[in-house]
Amino acid sequence: MSSNRKEKKVRAVPVGIGILIFILAFGVGVVSKFAIQPSWAKEYSVKWSDEVGTLKSDLPYGDGEANKFDLYLPKDDSKDSYGLVVYLHAGGFTSGDKVGDRDMLAWLCSKGYVAAGINYTLRTDDHPEASVLSQSNEIKAAIPIVIEAAEKAGYHIDKMTMAGGSAGHCLAMIYTYRDGAEAPVPVVFTFGAVGPSCFYQEDWGIYGLDQNDEACAGMFSVMAGEEITEQDIRDGSYHEKVKPISAMEWISSNPVPSVIAYGKCDKVQPYLGSLRLKAALEENNVDFRYYELPHSGHGLQNDNAIQREWMETVEEYLDKELS
Amino acid sequence: MSITAKRIIILVVIIAVAFCLGRLAVRAVMNMLLGGTLFGGNFL
Repeated sequence: MSSNRKEKKVRAVPVGIGILIFILAFGVGVVSKFAIQPSWAKEYSVKWSDEVGTLKSDLPYGDGEANKFDLYLPKDDSKDSYGLVVYLHAGGFTSGDKVGDRDMLAWLCSKGYVAAGINYTLRTDDHPEASVLSQSNEIKAAIPIVIEAAEKAGYHIDKMTMAGGSAGHCLAMIYTYRDGAEAPVPVVFTFGAVGPSCFYQEDWGIYGLDQNDEACAGMFSVMAGEEITEQDIRDGSYHEKVKPISAMEWISSNPVPSVIAYGKCDKVQPYLGSLRLKAALEENNVDFRYYELPHSGHGLQNDNAIQREWMETVEEYLDKELS
Repeated sequence: MSITAKRIIILVVIIAVAFCLGRLAVRAVMNMLLGGTLFGGNFL
């Protein structure tokens, strides 16, 4: 009896060590996913310094507290003209700041472009009136002032690119396709990732809006900045009301080259909407590249090889369209 | 094969499996959480 107990104890020790090692290795696996970034990602991220150029921060473009932009001016100021790249920050229209894109903007500046990060009034408790529409109109108002500021600093802008991530990508596409034809300089290219481009009830199943007219009317009203009723949802008249914030519907107005990336597992913006965008770009004969990341959600974090290809293409199009 | 060698092989397999599971767990959780919320989404 006592010998049996002793044997069990002897077996329990390696089992315990096995469990402990499993937990430790699991933890190391978790940490490694955050800590180890692909080496290629560093090529598209530059730490800002005076060696890169001159940074003018928080220049105003309107009366709102958030109506400010940062202008990144390249070191080489000897060229006759420069391409402008505007990169709009992410944050679900309710959070985020231009400072979050500093490394990206510094990278663009290091490539010789004038780069700008623009803040817009976020929908918060202090600004319940803010909507995608009001934000897109703020960006529209900001662009001439951004260009004017660059000109004043001695950098003549002759063309521009609009870009962004998530909410910023949504706003960048709205400006490009809806407002681009009226821009002070030609908008020759747009790139970005995971931005919603259209608002069809049946696409928004990730929020249950496809099954609930009331919830759909509520969410689309907030986004569109005007009242959309359940009846509008039922009879389809909401399509006209969301059109001003549906970049996809305006592609024909300014069908410029576009490089976009979307995650197939996205639970924040509908993947189905990205398929509509792709179809609309094809229909309008746009020179576009569409990257679908099959294992990734909104963060595009699980398909490194495709993400790398996407960024290489962005750089290729920047060189081709903006240089 | 000695018992010690067998135990070492088992431990190496456990480490490899646990490491991969740890990374896969992050992928799954990130796919659910990343990106914040859209208006009214009340997602996080």
